[in-house]
Amino acid sequence: MTKVVIVSDRIETALIGPTGPEHRKLANKVMEEALKQARLRFEDLSYIVATGYGRINVPFADRQITEITCHAKGLYSLLPTVKTIIDIGGQDSKGIRIKDGKVINFVMNDKCAAGTGRFLEVIADSLGVPLNDLGKLSLEASRATPISSTCTVFAEHEVTNQLANGESVANLVAGVHESIATRVYSLVRKLQIEKDIAVTGGGAKNIGLVKALEGKFGSPVLIPPEPLITGALGAALLGKEKWEKARLDGYTPTRSKEGLQEAKLFT
Amino acid sequence: MAEEKKRRAVATKTAAGIPKFVRGNLSATLKAKEEGKKVAKAFIHDGHDEIMRAMDIVPAWGESFSGVCAAKRDAEKFLQKAESDNFSRSLCTYATCHIGFEMAREEQGGAMPEGAPWGGMGRPDMILGNGQLLCDPRFKWPQALQHYLRDVPVFVTNMYYPPWDPNVDHHEQEKFYVKYCTEELHETVKFCEKVTGKKMDWDRLAAVVDLSDKTWDLFVDTYDLRKAIPTPMDTGDAMNTMVPITFNIGTQEAYDFYVELNNELKEKIAQGIGVADPEKYRLIWAAGLPSWFALNDFQYFNGKGAVFPVEVTYRDHEKIERLDLPKTNDPLERIAWRWVRYWTHWYDAARKIPGSTPKVARIIEYFEDYKCDGVVFHSAFSCRSWHAGIIHQAEVLRKVYKDIPILIMEGDIVDISSYNEADTHNRIDAFIETLEAYRNKQKN
Amino acid sequence: MTGSQNSKGLEKADRYYKQYGERAKELKKEGRKIIGYMSALTPVEILTAAGVAPIRLKGFMDEAVTKGDAYMESIICPFVRSAFDAAVKGRFGFMDGMVLPHQCDSIDRTNEVWSSNLNLPYWHFLNVPHVTGGPSIEFMKEILRVFIGTLEKFLGTKITDTAIAQAIKAHNENRRLMRELYILRKQNPPLISGVEMMKVLVAAMSLPVDESSALIKSVTEEVKKRPAPADGNRKRIMIIGDQIDHIAIPEAIENAGAWLVVDDLSIGVKVYWPEVDETTDPLQGIAERYLRKLKIPTTFVGEGDTYEENLEARFGHLKQRIAEFKVDGAILFIYKYCDPYGFEVPAVKSYIESGGTPVLYLEDEYSTSTLARVKTRIEAFLEMIA
Repeated sequence: MTKVVIVSDRIETALIGPTGPEHRKLANKVMEEALKQARLRFEDLSYIVATGYGRINVPFADRQITEITCHAKGLYSLLPTVKTIIDIGGQDSKGIRIKDGKVINFVMNDKCAAGTGRFLEVIADSLGVPLNDLGKLSLEASRATPISSTCTVFAEHEVTNQLANGESVANLVAGVHESIATRVYSLVRKLQIEKDIAVTGGGAKNIGLVKALEGKFGSPVLIPPEPLITGALGAALLGKEKWEKARLDGYTPTRSKEGLQEAKLFT
Repeated sequence: MAEEKKRRAVATKTAAGIPKFVRGNLSATLKAKEEGKKVAKAFIHDGHDEIMRAMDIVPAWGESFSGVCAAKRDAEKFLQKAESDNFSRSLCTYATCHIGFEMAREEQGGAMPEGAPWGGMGRPDMILGNGQLLCDPRFKWPQALQHYLRDVPVFVTNMYYPPWDPNVDHHEQEKFYVKYCTEELHETVKFCEKVTGKKMDWDRLAAVVDLSDKTWDLFVDTYDLRKAIPTPMDTGDAMNTMVPITFNIGTQEAYDFYVELNNELKEKIAQGIGVADPEKYRLIWAAGLPSWFALNDFQYFNGKGAVFPVEVTYRDHEKIERLDLPKTNDPLERIAWRWVRYWTHWYDAARKIPGSTPKVARIIEYFEDYKCDGVVFHSAFSCRSWHAGIIHQAEVLRKVYKDIPILIMEGDIVDISSYNEADTHNRIDAFIETLEAYRNKQKN
Repeated sequence: MTGSQNSKGLEKADRYYKQYGERAKELKKEGRKIIGYMSALTPVEILTAAGVAPIRLKGFMDEAVTKGDAYMESIICPFVRSAFDAAVKGRFGFMDGMVLPHQCDSIDRTNEVWSSNLNLPYWHFLNVPHVTGGPSIEFMKEILRVFIGTLEKFLGTKITDTAIAQAIKAHNENRRLMRELYILRKQNPPLISGVEMMKVLVAAMSLPVDESSALIKSVTEEVKKRPAPADGNRKRIMIIGDQIDHIAIPEAIENAGAWLVVDDLSIGVKVYWPEVDETTDPLQGIAERYLRKLKIPTTFVGEGDTYEENLEARFGHLKQRIAEFKVDGAILFIYKYCDPYGFEVPAVKSYIESGGTPVLYLEDEYSTSTLARVKTRIEAFLEMIA
């Protein structure tokens, strides 16, 4: 998924673009859409920062900054009391500790689907439940079916077996949420967890998962208004900071000199 | 799957008395302080047993603790605790489970962590390790533990034996290896004296070594009874009956246990009672620690008529006379000779068959003595010490012996998250078919 | 050797890095015996005294392990698996023999897998102790004598104490020269990059000691003469681990905008800092260096009356390097399935952090396929300490 956020002294626009294998090349398309929405031209942009896995595929970006730093910045601007951030994305999960908006420690899990949105996708698929309905459905559960496998593939087997044995879909979904929350808690507790805790990324939109996390962390968590754009927002704010500092110091920051174009990927 | 806690049935009455031993060992560590005794976090088969028993030091067996957590399928919370301070999940899970437990206890100011099995294990007054040829965690785990128990002194002995080399007669190196082991054991005694504030009673130590020698002999004689057809006891039970000689060696209770087991096996043989009825296939468990949470898999084998009359795992003993130990007045030197001679016992046999190795020579000896039909290995992913080299053993076995049915199973000793029961049973089923096919081929 | 005297040092290092074993192949053609070895624990002085050309084995991070998997379990250290895979694929086909020291389970529990699959004319497993007391020094001398005996039998020559003493001198000199090159990295910016240094370290470990010394000298001269790089405002990083021998790792650090200025690797500082004392019985000096001076997690250090003193005895040298090289951040790069390094992580991390230096702990496999993940973490770490 490609997201674009444009800021001035406020958020001008935030756009979430389509997914798909070709989306790697299409940062420019999403940018065009965002500019249209904001009624701006490409030339109006003073500085562009790219973040996330695809950050190397944005030829017109002036700077690349990791998602860790960007999520921290973006979240802090929306929820300034937050000291611990949990980001549950489609492909990875992260824990970030921040102090006055700066990252002081972080942990990542990007090797293993357990504890990420991918786990949810696989299970949702095998249960025949649309991804967006998982949260609401799990709230109807009478219990969270314990799932012992941490491997996504094995867990899928377990879930299918349980279904065949008459376990309800709602209970199984609740069980999967428990499983993910356990993995995420395991990861994030490597940091010195301090409140307020916030959850962001796609996982934050799943009310059932959020509740499971609150149970594990033993504390209510804050959710930003649109969890999918905190990274892009942070990137924009960091870009703004860089550009303003440069102006104060009396120079123009180096820019990419690339126009709005498709990424040229080596095949 | 997480909820199934089938009671593991044992074939022998004697084996049913094992939980008492295990619990007794754990509770001894909790009672030690009021009895004026010191607790030592120690390892099995590390050369330390006789020294501890002679000095009334109560061993806290971390491996046993982790094994119990695993058998109860309740190790995860401790594994996660260790993970939370950056212990990798790929490390020895015996160690990380126990370290996680100690971490939790320290955090709670010494209060026993909730859910510690069977009342938990006492806090150690000292930690003993050994940098030998068996396993790195045996000196890294003590060291890592000290990070959380900073007031507890650690001592690491180094008990080596000559490494296998087909071109070298290891007997030429024995003397300086035994000298080294003996010196290291003397240093260990000095350390224990310092911590306990008591001097070693050398006569008592000699008596304890006598008793453990006797126990070794009785143990091997008893297990040799399993050569009977049908076998009266299989590896499923042995993973229990190994407890006294492994965790209580040097005590009268351990010796008495094998007297009882010996009698029971003789009775069963007299009555023709076997583990499986009918007994179709006899297998050797040739290497690997079992998955402690999945001991029921042995019953699954039994249900198909397959039994394990013999195993290599936890049979770390041989008849003393076969080891041909030189006489000495120093009980520590006796331990050293027994150590060096036991771990090199199959070198001579291996040298006689080109391409063979000691481990394989041993498997062949048991395979023939116990009239086996097939071989099973178990590869546990978190234990390099016992499971690296299994592919090689299987290959050498086929090459230097014969093309017998071999199964290599995979799993872990403590971490249940990678275990898949259905998958495991499928593999066992397929192996039974292989055994059947091999037998038919032999007939024709 | 063609035009070797005219080859610039860095160019030569680059060549020997890329074509690993090139020189050993040439020496083999000239009739020299080539003995491969692993780990910092192999006493190279003995090999040099024996007159053979030693070469330290490495893996190939950008090659997937394929053939090796048929013989060696995948729970073994990924570096050992990669080196083994390369060996069974014939990458070190010029070897006449190998020495494996007892470093860790991944080596000592696979010794037979190596020896039976490679089937070399000479094989030796050196049973180096894990502890460092008096009895261990004596024991080490005994096994060194056994080792020397097997080499003498294989080569049909006697290895005299004089030869060993000379070899000790040569290797000490080699270490001194490498330390001089390291000193050029104390500057800001360092005069030689971490990427270039990696090539030198890897090239050096593939050469006989005198050629290694010549290479280091020529690199040092070349680096001193060239203009210093401009970027003085980058963070200075130290990398800690065992055998990291691919430029992809220093590249990941330096492409992210930092300088890799020093290390504690088993092919770097760990082997080049401690020297062998020139004792009357040369084996005494060798035993003392390899057991007591070499600081490696597979050797248990029990010194210190308190835990804090013990940490100083085990890791004090890390703080020294950090101070000497003005390090801003340390990266602990540990392979998966590594008990010796893995069990130390909490202690090392907290020890270094207690000195005020931030630490990034990375657990990775010996493979370039996971590089993107490694890079993201390194970049995030650098952004964090900026």
